[in-house]
Amino acid sequence: MKNNNKEVWIGHNDINSPELQEIAKQEFANTVPVVDSMADEKVMESSTNRRDFLKYLGFGLGAATVAASCEIPVKRAIPYVVKPDEIVPGVASYYASSFVRGGDFSSILVKTREGRPIKIEGNSLSPVSHGGTSARAQAAVLDLYNVNRISKPSMPWAELDQEIMKALASSKNIRLVGNTNMSPTAKKAMGEFLAAYPAAKAVNYDAVSASGILEANDASFGMATIPSYHFDKADFIISFGADFLGTWISSEEFQYGYVKNRKVDPKAETPTMSHHTQIESYMSLTGSNADNRIMVRPSEQGSAIKAFYNALKGSSMGSDLNEKARTALEKLAAKVKASSGKVLVVSGSNNVAEQVVVNAINEMLGSYGSTITFDRASNQRQGIDKNILDLVAEMKSGKVDAMIVMDANPAYDLPEASDFAAAMSKVKTSVFMSSVPNETGALCNYTAPTPHFLEAWGDVEPKKGMFSIVQPTISPLFDTRQGEESLLVWASSANLDQTSDQPYYEYLKANWESTMFPMQNNFMSFQSFWDKTLHDGVFTAKASEPAINMVADVNAYLNKISKPGQGEEIVLFETIAMGAGEYADNPWLQELPDPVSRTTWGNYFGIPVSWEGGNSMVTYKDLNQGEYKGNADIVEVSANGIAQNITCIASFGLATDTFSAALGAGRSVVGFAGKNVGTNSMSWLTRDKDGNVQYFNALDAEPKKTDLVDTEFPCVQYHHTFGITGQEDGKEINVDEKTLMTIGEGFQGGLTDRSIIYQANLSEVNDLKAKIAKKRDFAKHLNDATLYPYEEYNEKYYSQGHHWGMAIDLNACLGCGACQVACVAENNVPVVGKEEVSRHHEMTWLRIDRYFFGDHENPNTVYQPMMCQHCDNAPCENVCPVGATNHSSEGLNQMTYNRCIGTRYCANNCPFKVRRLNWYDYTTADLFGGNEVSVNGEEIPFGADNLTRMVLNPDVTVRSRGVIEKCSFCVQRIQEGKLTAKKEGRALREGDVKPACQTACVTGAITFGDFNNEDGALAKALDSELNYLVLEETNVQSSVHYSAKIVNRDEAIS
Amino acid sequence: MIQRSLIFRILLLLVFLPGATIMAQEANIAEGTTLFKNNCASCHNKNMKDDLTGPALGGVEERWADYPQEDLYSWIRNSQKLVGEGHPRAVQLYNDWNKSVMNSFTQFTDEQIANVLAYIDFQYNYVPEGVLTDGVVVTEEEDNSTLFLVIIIGLIGLVLVLMRVASKLNVMVKVEDGEELQPERTLFDVLKSKSMIATFVLIAVVAGGSMMADKAINLGRQQGYMPDQPIKFSHATHAGLNQIDCNYCHDGARRSKHSVIPAANTCMNCHKAIKKGSTYGTAELTKIFASIGFDPKSGTYLEDYENMDVGEIELIFKAWIESQSEEETPEKKAAQVEEEWDAVVASLTNDRKDDFRGPIEWIRIHNLPDHVYFNHAQHVKVGEVDCESCHGKVEEMEVVEQYSPLSMGWCINCHRKTEVQFDGNEYYKSYENYHNQLSAGDRDKVTVEEIGGLECQKCHY
Repeated sequence: MKNNNKEVWIGHNDINSPELQEIAKQEFANTVPVVDSMADEKVMESSTNRRDFLKYLGFGLGAATVAASCEIPVKRAIPYVVKPDEIVPGVASYYASSFVRGGDFSSILVKTREGRPIKIEGNSLSPVSHGGTSARAQAAVLDLYNVNRISKPSMPWAELDQEIMKALASSKNIRLVGNTNMSPTAKKAMGEFLAAYPAAKAVNYDAVSASGILEANDASFGMATIPSYHFDKADFIISFGADFLGTWISSEEFQYGYVKNRKVDPKAETPTMSHHTQIESYMSLTGSNADNRIMVRPSEQGSAIKAFYNALKGSSMGSDLNEKARTALEKLAAKVKASSGKVLVVSGSNNVAEQVVVNAINEMLGSYGSTITFDRASNQRQGIDKNILDLVAEMKSGKVDAMIVMDANPAYDLPEASDFAAAMSKVKTSVFMSSVPNETGALCNYTAPTPHFLEAWGDVEPKKGMFSIVQPTISPLFDTRQGEESLLVWASSANLDQTSDQPYYEYLKANWESTMFPMQNNFMSFQSFWDKTLHDGVFTAKASEPAINMVADVNAYLNKISKPGQGEEIVLFETIAMGAGEYADNPWLQELPDPVSRTTWGNYFGIPVSWEGGNSMVTYKDLNQGEYKGNADIVEVSANGIAQNITCIASFGLATDTFSAALGAGRSVVGFAGKNVGTNSMSWLTRDKDGNVQYFNALDAEPKKTDLVDTEFPCVQYHHTFGITGQEDGKEINVDEKTLMTIGEGFQGGLTDRSIIYQANLSEVNDLKAKIAKKRDFAKHLNDATLYPYEEYNEKYYSQGHHWGMAIDLNACLGCGACQVACVAENNVPVVGKEEVSRHHEMTWLRIDRYFFGDHENPNTVYQPMMCQHCDNAPCENVCPVGATNHSSEGLNQMTYNRCIGTRYCANNCPFKVRRLNWYDYTTADLFGGNEVSVNGEEIPFGADNLTRMVLNPDVTVRSRGVIEKCSFCVQRIQEGKLTAKKEGRALREGDVKPACQTACVTGAITFGDFNNEDGALAKALDSELNYLVLEETNVQSSVHYSAKIVNRDEAIS
Repeated sequence: MIQRSLIFRILLLLVFLPGATIMAQEANIAEGTTLFKNNCASCHNKNMKDDLTGPALGGVEERWADYPQEDLYSWIRNSQKLVGEGHPRAVQLYNDWNKSVMNSFTQFTDEQIANVLAYIDFQYNYVPEGVLTDGVVVTEEEDNSTLFLVIIIGLIGLVLVLMRVASKLNVMVKVEDGEELQPERTLFDVLKSKSMIATFVLIAVVAGGSMMADKAINLGRQQGYMPDQPIKFSHATHAGLNQIDCNYCHDGARRSKHSVIPAANTCMNCHKAIKKGSTYGTAELTKIFASIGFDPKSGTYLEDYENMDVGEIELIFKAWIESQSEEETPEKKAAQVEEEWDAVVASLTNDRKDDFRGPIEWIRIHNLPDHVYFNHAQHVKVGEVDCESCHGKVEEMEVVEQYSPLSMGWCINCHRKTEVQFDGNEYYKSYENYHNQLSAGDRDKVTVEEIGGLECQKCHY
């Protein structure tokens, strides 16, 4: 039996629901219960008669007359008193800085306008983040303008310092609690504090920790560090549950390396790419990109590592791993055995024994020195789990009398968070240092607010000898002081000049002069070295590979690996958006769909989907039958004795008896966006014998179905997604967007055999090329019979000046979502909130469609970024009654908000479903109140306050209610790039114009350019037989080209 | 702040009508205006009432009335010659003005001088109230609407008379034929008739509709907007008289979307030295000093100005005003000091800003709606458009007003006509077809419209 579906699908509903299949065959749904829904609201009963009409007409006329005679408000033009030289109002300045939050790091450029940061771009000089940004880094600029930030210390600074210093002086046990700290200067400051208070001790931990790796490397090599992983040098990548493309340690760095070996050269006779196997329990972002997935239950992870080790070793030890996985791993071992130095094995496990065995595997495969090196050891995870466990015990015993919490949240993100919170009452003096409130801060006596990183000075050393600078791009908005400075003040440090304007800046500079300046010999004077470093944002010192010596006794650790558990288990994972909950109050991230589950606003309980042959897909206990209608069942789940209700989501790729839930939801003390969104799954975490947190647990009982249904299920899977393909009666059918939202299940455009996704295995690339060629020929044949004189337009307009286009490499797109947040930030795209998302009202201009293909239960995935295709024969343009959308001579499909009257004809006629209507006044741009929606129960609509509005891009119009909007190819950037070239009197250069999505992408999946530039990167990208246009047969002449997805799947494995 | 109503327009019309009449009588004022601007305005105040580098020219002919006209003419052509000849008035004038020499204008014909004098006289005697401070007659098309109105009314009258005649003749014919006479309809009956009422209603609806459409289209437009600014900054003095380049102060125009209102420190580049204004003395310039914290007496910036005691600052500036006061009695001086200082504080503060220190909050004149993207650099640097094509003759404006309507139609019309600066800009190389046509002589220019300058997303995004 080969349950291999060559076609693509998006969810369980589209292949198994006969109802849906029926609807899919029709162009429009017959059942449109609009009237019912209106009757609910008693709309039908309301009467508007002729008299009312006349009354309103009269009032309207009168109001218009009054309005017309009103005075126009006086606007003021306020210049600077003394204008800073570097600011030209209206021209953006960029500053190099770094995004840092715990272990998350990106080297960035901050775009500021008139002195306020509005956008974050990647810094391509960085050897760590390679010019890429994560969704988190992109969204960080919004945190700066978070209305929930702590605005002032609990008492004036001088008094606060006095009180705290008095309390600290009399304390016997002071604890500094924090997450990973990558700043050398902050560490120095902390060192001064620890020296000044011998009773003090620093405790570092990470909510999602790599403690297991650190301890295992200590055991294996005597070095408690995380090495450098070189995914670009590996022909075989084997990951035991490490989500290295999503959330594991240094995702942008790994994405950059990974993709180098994943792009297929279409010109090659026999194209090659690396082979990636993911052994995991739920489908992670990394797993979805893998060629082969081997599904193991979470508690089998150790056994899987052991089985792989034994298979490599050739030892015939029995295994307690499930048969299917064991065979697959044995085949994999046989496959990679000979490729010494070309294999990279990583594991996300937080168990020391498992990680020691992984080290042994890598040693056996010759990875050290080739795919794994220690010269640039990573500092991105430093927390040791058992330290925080010891701390909780100390606190319980009343030993700790003073605690300084540095930007951490142990009262929420520890498995024993409730114990920690309870023990906080025994700590006499507790100081909270953070810029935003959290659960731990609420329990502290004192608050010493810190600035946002865009207001602060600092440095980062994410990897050994690779430094990056943090420099402020705006004066602190609130009465805050950097944590490092506070520590130095309390330590009465002689090295801190408190009379200086920026004491910590001077301290930082002094440290760089004494520590980093001697590491280089390019600059003779410190000032020139400092200026250069500040300009570039990065500085890299020399490093050398230390000698590696495997000292651990692997057999002892092999025996320590625990046996798989029985019964149902839950795997708890970190998402790209929420982290361990520290990003919960960022509305942009809340509304970013998880790449795999496509859910927003909260976390969901993944339930397995099983295949019963044919088109029949069955969900666990038949739950979530109405998922595509926006209804999801709520179940009661219990682990660690804690039972909670949580909404389900049908999930492909879950191992047997395994469920999944994301971490970082259900925060209680947090800004409005994160408050009580989702279910707190932190309490379901558990620890192993060594005290390391394990990100899975056995369920106490079967998940219990409740009568509750989440009717605001904000999963965007069935929204705006076109081209679901199923099979029925041997005929392929496609199902288009569910346009009618909550009121019905109408699907649009049930035509057959559309070109949306092309995918193939590496061995079948030539067949795919032929298939694409054939389809494109046929499309061309169809398109030749056209009414539109395209050639004439082309000759007259498009061939002259510019003709903008884009190429997207589906093989390079990993689905990380950075482009989506970048687009939101660049184009002032509004946040709409959970309820609105559940009603298909999300406003994102760029969505990342996720399609499955292959094995029904363990499928492969394609991510397809989908935005306005800027069709040269655009169907939307012809149907607009007011000409609000039309075409430019540069091939742009233009949207003019002021003309738009909101008929939505264009959205209905758009085959790509990329047009978004402002159903409400999401941006509070209207003159009239009452059109806004509340986001997460907040009284003031999101963005209504002047603080949040500071993040708006002043070059992009803020749209009001009732107008359509969509991707503009970042026309403001196009115009800016053109103007720069014109001003300099030169031709437009490659790279003058880059849309926000392209600059955010670290893998180079998106190439934007001018079709008329024959030597440009776009022309190069288009010169491929794998290239195709989505829905080319409809003759819309779209401008976005896609390159087909190729996987290197080995059918023998899995 | 601005009231753009019909009344305003009527006033404007009234202002222009006498101008037009005068022009018809003495068509040479226009030439006199040009001559004055080009030759005299750099030294003589164009309001003709106040002295500048040279004396106020109003009533110059009366002052020279004791001498033959030729004397005045030759004084204007070459004053030093007349002084050398020992002409009593010439010598007196020369001495009164500290022996500063007036430029020679030997090229002037008698007719030209007469024109200039006519202009001076016109300016001196005729200043319309409130509306046009400048009073310069702009060469405009003569307004023919009154004439049309008279003709239309005349024609309607004629029609009525003829209709009456025809009806009387009809009656006479009927009488002649012996037919029975209908009772004659009175004018009241005619007006009451359904067709008449319908006609009037139709006219009312059409006129009302057109007026409303007109009003609606103009909603939010502010052509002619001329608000009082916190500082009576005169572009006529700076850009006109002193010929300061627009880009010197509005330095963003060449490189940014904003032309940029200059910061106070830009003013200080010159006003560190020029501490007293030619027109307002200390009254206006003290505002800049109070904004930025400059002590004009010592010529230095005040240390830690933001945290200084307000009373202390007040004393510094009051002392300065007093030291420069030209009033004679101490009482008058004190009154001037109080008055000027109060005005300084009042103009630098408003309901949102209670400290006179800090930025000067100018009233913004040119307001584009938020959904319009306009870039100065594109027009000034790339398109090489003169500032005055949109902003008018700012160098002649005592108080700046919005010269252009800034409506979309106005933008579009300009884009239709304006030629793109193809030559010498490599950027436009990509328009091969146009280059070929230009070199083949098939076309003589490429307009902004032809490279997509009318497309929505050139300005709206």
